[in-house]
Amino acid sequence: MKQDRKRCIGRRTFLQGAALGLASVALPLDKADASFWEAFFQKHFREMNEAEIKKVLSRLEKDYEDKYRKEIKVGNEKPMPGVLFGYGLDLSRCIGCRRCVYACVEENNQSLDPQIHWITVLRFRKGEKWVDLENSEKYYNPAQVPEKEYFYMPIQCQQCENPPCVRVCPTKATWKEPDGIVVIDYNWCIGCRYCMAACPYGARRFNWGEPGRPAEKINPKTHYLGNRPRYKGVVEKCTFCIQRTRNGRYPACVEACPVGARKFGNLLDPQSEIRYAIEHKRVFRLKEDLNTNPKFYYFFAYGK
Amino acid sequence: MIQIMIIKNFFIALRQIAIGNKKYYMWISFLSFLVLLGISAYAGQINRGLIATAMRDQVSWGLYISNFTFLVGVAAAAVLLVIPAYIYNFKPIKEIVLFGELLAVTAIVMCILFIMVDMGQPLRVWHILPVIGAMNFPSSLLAWDVVALNGYLIINTAIVFYVLYRLSIGKEYKMSVIGPLIILSIPWAVSIHTVTAFLYNGLSSRPFWNASILAPRFLASAFCSGPAIMIVLFQIIRKLSDVEIENKAIFKIAELIAYAIGLNLFLLGAEVFKEFYSGSIHSEPVKYLYFGLHGHNNLVPWIWFATAMNITAFFMFLFPRTRENFVTLNMACVFVITGVYIEKGMGLIIPGFVPDTLGEIYEYIPTMQEILVTIGVWASGAMLYTFLLKFAVPVYTGKLRFGLRAKGIVARDIMTRHLITVSPETEADEISKLLISRRISAVPVVDADNKVIGVVSESDIIFQEIRHEPEVAERLGKLVLPEAQKGKKLGDTASDIMTSPAITALEDTSMKELIRSIADRKIKRIIIVDGKGHPVGIVSRVDILRTLDNIKLDSLKEGKD
Repeated sequence: MKQDRKRCIGRRTFLQGAALGLASVALPLDKADASFWEAFFQKHFREMNEAEIKKVLSRLEKDYEDKYRKEIKVGNEKPMPGVLFGYGLDLSRCIGCRRCVYACVEENNQSLDPQIHWITVLRFRKGEKWVDLENSEKYYNPAQVPEKEYFYMPIQCQQCENPPCVRVCPTKATWKEPDGIVVIDYNWCIGCRYCMAACPYGARRFNWGEPGRPAEKINPKTHYLGNRPRYKGVVEKCTFCIQRTRNGRYPACVEACPVGARKFGNLLDPQSEIRYAIEHKRVFRLKEDLNTNPKFYYFFAYGK
Repeated sequence: MIQIMIIKNFFIALRQIAIGNKKYYMWISFLSFLVLLGISAYAGQINRGLIATAMRDQVSWGLYISNFTFLVGVAAAAVLLVIPAYIYNFKPIKEIVLFGELLAVTAIVMCILFIMVDMGQPLRVWHILPVIGAMNFPSSLLAWDVVALNGYLIINTAIVFYVLYRLSIGKEYKMSVIGPLIILSIPWAVSIHTVTAFLYNGLSSRPFWNASILAPRFLASAFCSGPAIMIVLFQIIRKLSDVEIENKAIFKIAELIAYAIGLNLFLLGAEVFKEFYSGSIHSEPVKYLYFGLHGHNNLVPWIWFATAMNITAFFMFLFPRTRENFVTLNMACVFVITGVYIEKGMGLIIPGFVPDTLGEIYEYIPTMQEILVTIGVWASGAMLYTFLLKFAVPVYTGKLRFGLRAKGIVARDIMTRHLITVSPETEADEISKLLISRRISAVPVVDADNKVIGVVSESDIIFQEIRHEPEVAERLGKLVLPEAQKGKKLGDTASDIMTSPAITALEDTSMKELIRSIADRKIKRIIIVDGKGHPVGIVSRVDILRTLDNIKLDSLKEGKD
């Protein structure tokens, strides 16, 4: 009996040790300052009032400054009334140069190591099955583009009007804004990756490791729902460069495209370039049969 | 005052966990080692991020979610025991349903752990809760799963603890109290696996999962692996404790498994037909799973191995000869558990992502870190189940009782329940084996009407064994055999060698009377019978000693209060 009791104490101490160990894994106690707990208890973005949002933005700016030793602005530009963003991509022009990919990475502060790209450019062999994803090539790397026997198709978030990712998110951490952009609150996402399973376009990216990007490469003009630096363990994706487009600018990929394959504009404005493309070209959308209703239109301006 | 009682009882129960023999400590140390291994692997994962796993954007769920899916099935399978136990009142299963429900509780806890280790931001888990978080209910099936799994956990915990509480204060549980909960638990068990199936099923982006047969397949496979795990556990429980689990119950469960595997194979066949006959582009994941795609065939050997296991197990469960032989039965259990673990685990999750939505093939092989975390979660589950049993078994058999006062203790409060009986025709050899294997010293003999007609004890058997040497018998008889043995006839069956009539007492006989009876008649045990003379328990001298010890302990503590 005595021996039993001794063992019992031994076990209890062991359990306490294990519990403490667990706690230290779960709670970064060295970071247990006010900012950590403020971040921990931060409310859902859409449930905060203006004052609360302002406080969060300034806390984030301070955190980023501490981390990158550089002033970073975190904006919260609101959607403009009467605007629904739409995107057009002319497959007959695209030469597969991936300049859009690099411009996107530069603009949107993606992690360089591990590497995260929001735009995937696929290469298809001409004259075979139409948009045969099964036999497409994502890692093509020729000495020169375009290649004669191939055509190219960049794919990014299609900003669906009926987004499956939003439907499945268990915490409402991702939603569709009134201007049609599907956004993510990086401070609310729990990292379950259900949205990635639900997305039919492989558009969502996960921060599998700590995002790696040197301070000098950080774009300091950011948006809370867009290109501000992200965290390990959350999902991110294309936001139509929300920090630019809500200020009346083009997305970085549109500006970077050397052949003018990328069109962007307000779907509600009859005079917009995107409306012109939709009305005058034969457009299609990816995986129409899934009824996701993307606001991303592909077309061939001229045949070749 | 009642709170103090509850807290005190809680600590008495907790003390159970710390007391055990050498084997028990070795088992717990072994599990602790694995848990620590898992924790250290998980600490590494927290540190580096989920990049420590082999999951990537193409295959964004892996080993953890595979295990989660398998364990939801194990948890749901508890219902297979509940239905016959409570609805059809099938006695042999009713006696053991408690251990099945404890397994369900354990499996759900493991499910939650697997979800936690898969999360990128585990500290934000509260975001998924209603009111304080922003639960996306009813839109997200993951939110449904949170409700379904936690509800199931609460229902089963409530049933288990109510039953144990009643037994621990020496009373039978009231069906009027838990009846509704039990009725509720049946559709709820079906719902947890259905909702989990819908979680995958509802994604139009993943043709491999987007098949309406998924939920039925989930349930069928759950009713294969879950009960098979229980069959194995029941044998371990009855070997290591004095809980009596009848072979009849185990064989009945085995029979049910045969039907479940049959159904599971049929549903699988239906799906395989549809996929391969229609041969659309949406069949690529199934092709990847069974035959490989463009030279990528990591899962192929696994799924064929699993299929072979399931088919072999089907025939072994189907034929009574293999089903009712413990060697082949246990083999079949291991086969079907392995088969379903592969088929409902990696075999279900990975092809959902291969090829990915843009046609890329990324072959997922879990990293050592993922495997260690997984082992850690399984070890935590095994430890939890061991602790629950450590508390539940003595309560169930009546060895652990709370709130006893010397005054007013009756036989019902202190007896060992669920006793084994033999018939008058049982061979002496068989009884001897029974006493050895169950580590008991005597067994009541009952007639066809379940009335006690005698007792066969160790000494009866010893007397039998030496009967051929009358000299020794006479000498030994003088030394060790009680008066009653002398001049008894010789024979080979229970009725020949038993001491008859048995000393019996009613359930409400006071402890004082029991003690007096034992002392006066120089006997070792009294069979406790109900009003109809059916045996309900046994009070041996050690039961009385234990009770006296408990009372002393209780009165000591009260002195301090």
